[in-house]
Amino acid sequence: MRKPWRMAALATLVAVLVISLTPYLWLFMTSFKTRLDALADAPVWLFTPTFEHYPMVFLDKGYLPMVGNSLIVAGVTTALSLAIGVPAAYVFARHDFAGKEDLFFFFLTTRMAPPISVVVPMFLFFGYVGLIDTRTSVILAHSTFNLSLVVWMMRGFFADIPREIDEAAQMDGHTRAGMFLRVLLPLAAPGMAATAVLCFILSWNEFLYALILVAFESRTLTVGIPGLVTPHGTLWGQVAAVAMVATLPIVVFTFLVQRHLVRGLTFGAVKG
Amino acid sequence: MAVAFRNVTKVFPDGTVALDGFNLDFETGEFVVLLGPSGSGKTTACRILAGLEPATSGRIEVGGRDITDLPPRERGMSMVFQNYALYAHKSVYDNIAYPLRVRGVPKQRIEGRVRDTARLLQIDELMGRRPGQLSGGQAQRVAVARALVWQPEICLMDEPLSNLDAILRLQTRTELKRLHAELKTTFVFVTHDQEEAMTLGNRIAVLKDGRLVQFDTPREIYHRPASRFVAEFIGRPAMNIIEGSVAGGVFRAEGLDLAVPDRSDGTAALGIRPEHILLHRSPRDGMQPFHLDVKELVEPDILLFLSSGPLSLVVRSKADLANLDDGAEVYLELPRDRLHFFDAETGLRRP
Repeated sequence: MRKPWRMAALATLVAVLVISLTPYLWLFMTSFKTRLDALADAPVWLFTPTFEHYPMVFLDKGYLPMVGNSLIVAGVTTALSLAIGVPAAYVFARHDFAGKEDLFFFFLTTRMAPPISVVVPMFLFFGYVGLIDTRTSVILAHSTFNLSLVVWMMRGFFADIPREIDEAAQMDGHTRAGMFLRVLLPLAAPGMAATAVLCFILSWNEFLYALILVAFESRTLTVGIPGLVTPHGTLWGQVAAVAMVATLPIVVFTFLVQRHLVRGLTFGAVKG
Repeated sequence: MAVAFRNVTKVFPDGTVALDGFNLDFETGEFVVLLGPSGSGKTTACRILAGLEPATSGRIEVGGRDITDLPPRERGMSMVFQNYALYAHKSVYDNIAYPLRVRGVPKQRIEGRVRDTARLLQIDELMGRRPGQLSGGQAQRVAVARALVWQPEICLMDEPLSNLDAILRLQTRTELKRLHAELKTTFVFVTHDQEEAMTLGNRIAVLKDGRLVQFDTPREIYHRPASRFVAEFIGRPAMNIIEGSVAGGVFRAEGLDLAVPDRSDGTAALGIRPEHILLHRSPRDGMQPFHLDVKELVEPDILLFLSSGPLSLVVRSKADLANLDDGAEVYLELPRDRLHFFDAETGLRRP
């Protein structure tokens, strides 16, 4: 690449980095600022850090179990969506049946309605079956909208695997189930990793359903944060501390599957 | 042990009839080639035999046992695919070992079998590589090794050479013959390339429109094609076919009169292979002059495109005729024992 272009590319990269990382850096600093520093009119860049927010919010205010709730809800949602969605996507990619494309589109329509329009019926339903204020209700709610994501993304990944691989596996002595579990799933693993991360992030960040469906014991982190907005003002330091912890798994996961994620997002669903 | 297609019909959901009452019988140990143009049903026949495609009706039998409804894994057959279908996430060694592992061969025996097969196919150097790092020819060998490693009764090959370049295709062809001679496994080989079929098969099954047209040795198919279709499909350049009629022991067509004693009267299509026509520079009894339109040198032979009035013929000659001028006059002799007669309507061979 020629030098001016190189410089321009570098400048763009720096700009993007500054724009995307500044809020995160600000959050990070705020989580160590005293209330006074956090609310100062002119942004304070140099300050004496305080370490009181983290133990205060997670231990004294009991936010630690919420981390566990969030992990369980996001983890089980992801597992459940994949367990149901991946085999379904395989069938969509490989088999023909009446109304296939209509059914496939139907999966997408479940995401078309604004979530808030479904939340009240869902609340009533879960109330009726006695699941209100349980993690199960949130997991089921999140799985409904993650399922369509899994089916749509994974169909493309299975379509990318040549049909002859299925047939070779059967000739090599596999049953249909063995072929799917032992040959196709390993081949679709990159796509599954990307899909899993997206599912996890969506569920982990979800606020509305988690807020409406649970009240006390099963609250997730996202629902916990508004609790720090008190009549005496917002506890910015603690909000920042919780937010830091809340972003951590996403950062970690994204780094872990970064390579697959890019391939997954660009190749996967496009083919459908 | 006999392998048999019994009246197998395959209709695809879109209404395409791929096989239409297909019958075929062969013995294990043979090298059988299924030959036909695209759409003739040869690949479908192979896939039905493998169990990858269900037959709409009819039966498949192996050794007298009906295997029509058995899943692929219980048929004792392996398959080499056109695009090889290697497992991209496994090493060459693991690809070859895979059928043994799936079939529960004891671990200590797997290694030896894989090494032996790899040596047979001369790929022992590649064991650590991934399929993505192989050339087309190497991937091909790995696919064949994977199909042979567990010593199946029948090895099916669906156009396995068509993705290779010309030289490699010839080498692999020879290689397959050697493998067959050595292993005595039944090979069922699908191709649309008549030359491949002629060189590889003990017997060739020629298919057309989902039916078996002829099943015979390459020699018989070349010398006694069962129909006009087979006659024109086998041999390059294609057999000359002249439509005309026989009356009183003479075959008459536009531009040609030919004495054919002991042929019954009626319309007929006469065929003669380009390489069987004899060429003379000077006129002889009962021969008529042809003009040279185009000549093509196919060293060491020469192809002459000749015409006499509306009649055009191709002649393949070994003679040194490169100096023959365009428009030159030559005389043709069509030896009687080289002539083929086909029914004008059905295209079937007349005895």
